[in-house]
Amino acid sequence: MIQHLVDGILVGSFLSLGAIGLTMVMHILRFANFSHAELLSIGAYCALVFDKLFESLLPVLSAKIGPLSMTGALSLSILISMVVTGLSAVLIDNLVFRRVRQKGGELSMVFASFGMSLVIRNVIGLIFGLSSELYSRDIAFAMVLSRDPLLLVKPDQVFVLIAALLIMFVLYLVFSRTTFGFALRAIAENPSLAQVHGVNLKQMIVAVWIIGGALGALAGVFYGLSYQITPVMGRDLVLPIFAATIVGGIGSVYGAVLGGFIVGIASNIALVVLPSGYSPSVPFLMILLVLLIRPNGLFGEARA
Amino acid sequence: MRTLLTVAAFAAGVSALGTEVQAQECTTKIGATLPTSVDWGRPIAEVAQFAVDQVNEAGGAAGCQIEMVLRDTQVDPKVGVDAAKALVDLEGVNVLLGAVSSGVSMPILTSVTVPGGVMQMSCCSSSTAFTKLSEDGKTNGLWFRTFATTAVQSAMGAKVATDKGYKKVAVLYKNDDWGQDMARLIAADFAAAGIEVTSSVAINDAQPSYRAEVTEAIGGQPDALYLALYPNEGTSAVREWLSLGGTQNMILANSLKSDEFRDNVGLQYLGNALGTDTASPRVASADAFKAAYVEKFGSEPNGPGLANSFDAAMIALLAMEAAGKDASGADIAAAVAKVTDPSGTPITADTAGFSTAKDTLAGGGTVKYQGATGDVRFDANGDVSAPAVVWKFTDSGTEEVEYLSLTDVDAFIASLKK
Repeated sequence: MIQHLVDGILVGSFLSLGAIGLTMVMHILRFANFSHAELLSIGAYCALVFDKLFESLLPVLSAKIGPLSMTGALSLSILISMVVTGLSAVLIDNLVFRRVRQKGGELSMVFASFGMSLVIRNVIGLIFGLSSELYSRDIAFAMVLSRDPLLLVKPDQVFVLIAALLIMFVLYLVFSRTTFGFALRAIAENPSLAQVHGVNLKQMIVAVWIIGGALGALAGVFYGLSYQITPVMGRDLVLPIFAATIVGGIGSVYGAVLGGFIVGIASNIALVVLPSGYSPSVPFLMILLVLLIRPNGLFGEARA
Repeated sequence: MRTLLTVAAFAAGVSALGTEVQAQECTTKIGATLPTSVDWGRPIAEVAQFAVDQVNEAGGAAGCQIEMVLRDTQVDPKVGVDAAKALVDLEGVNVLLGAVSSGVSMPILTSVTVPGGVMQMSCCSSSTAFTKLSEDGKTNGLWFRTFATTAVQSAMGAKVATDKGYKKVAVLYKNDDWGQDMARLIAADFAAAGIEVTSSVAINDAQPSYRAEVTEAIGGQPDALYLALYPNEGTSAVREWLSLGGTQNMILANSLKSDEFRDNVGLQYLGNALGTDTASPRVASADAFKAAYVEKFGSEPNGPGLANSFDAAMIALLAMEAAGKDASGADIAAAVAKVTDPSGTPITADTAGFSTAKDTLAGGGTVKYQGATGDVRFDANGDVSAPAVVWKFTDSGTEEVEYLSLTDVDAFIASLKK
């Protein structure tokens, strides 16, 4: 039971990172972006490419940091991947979503995002092949925290959790203490009024995509570090991330963080009661449950 | 007799050249529903057509040339059923070859071929659900398959565990028809062999993490792990299993016989992993098929189900020959026993063999078909058994540890049932 709880928190950490980006996009651009999880794939594969590149150029960097599977090469690659993925998100918006936004309705956006996710997934499959990839082939063995009850934790996962919490704290500071943060929130509340007050809508949209993409890349790499990288990882992650966003309440960054942890923990704990065959249904049950009690999600606000 | 045959062969040759002279006026259609749109499905269809071509060279079956009408299933039950319906209702076939996946073959069987009285012969479906259906008397004897059921695979799993002296085994299985089937069978076989199953955990594909499932399985502290998974989720689950300190004693189903799985888990962790698989029999008729295949297609028949597909088509056509002209699907199904009779005249799986079979059957005799998968013999439920191998991973791929002939396999399965 404690093991499941701990596992859930660890899984929740990268769901939260993915959900933060998604909730911002859904709130500010007002559409359900089903291609958001593909940003995680882009990030993970981008980091994989740079990781291999750095390792071959500077073998010094391929040494492992402490007990982690993480290497110097990979940490550099993560930073590059965050930038590249953020820019890809902006590019995708420019190529597809901006054009659809100008002409079509909300539903067209949803369909466009579905299409985009298929395109991205298959392009990745074409380039990298359909089989799974790993940052490190060595298996990082878990540390035994306690024997009875048996509690095992992998160093990588502790690192991922701490890193995720740190990033979330930085975001919190940005949103609550800076003009930029206020501007973002103003745009989300009321785009016209915010523009009257001198907030540049176009710049803000670019900023949202960059933040969403960068966090997505981070989540993707963390996921790849914990499990494996496959072209279909976006498909596997899109529903839990959506569940986290909806449970937390669309538009609420704190809600997304909490939602990620709730979905992660619930899916893990569910196995104690449910046969594992039913575990994919847990995120949906969470959505239903939360929406029945709080129709706008835990932290969401009603808006017209 | 020899001259007669030569004349017939000459006539067939002439008609093939496109002149007006024809040995036969009629064409009988048979249906095939196979997943031709997937890369491994096309060769299965091509090898079935190869069998049909050889029969046509021998003058066709039941006095007519055979035309195989092929439809794609896209590995989708809905598409497969539509295709089978079209073949039965529009093309009027009495014999249907296919499908590959059990999940596609099953709805075709229950909603098309059984109601339509059409004989269905699958090359590749392995689910024991068909055995159950047949035992319940719901297939009307119209169902056959040339692919050994998962029962062989699971029995071999139990054999490996017994040989290795494992006492407590955890099972991770893919949550689909095949995996559930395997989990059920392996649990029964382990129980029969006196091995405790500590937990049996379903693994859904496309899940972000298998940590919870693995935690569940590791809880019973088993001394070995049985895996009925595919490489993708298998890699995830096994890495998770090993990182949490799970045992490296593993028994793998044939689905994990993949380089991807070996490379991504790491050979250094798979030293104690033994796999099971059904094998092609080490008999002359199987080698003859291999040689004929290489000559025709220019490569070894290494894909899944090729030998089985060839035999399915051959036996179906032999049964048509045995049933005679204008036979119904049920007549043809009933005639299968005549061409796979262990005490019948042995025939080879080619044009010459088919001609011999024609003569023997015309004289009222029975035939023992010796095909690409050996001497095929169906049991009362249309199932076949198969030889098996135990294998392990090596640097370059996999290596055979032990070969069990059909007799060995049957003997072990019988010992479990006692």
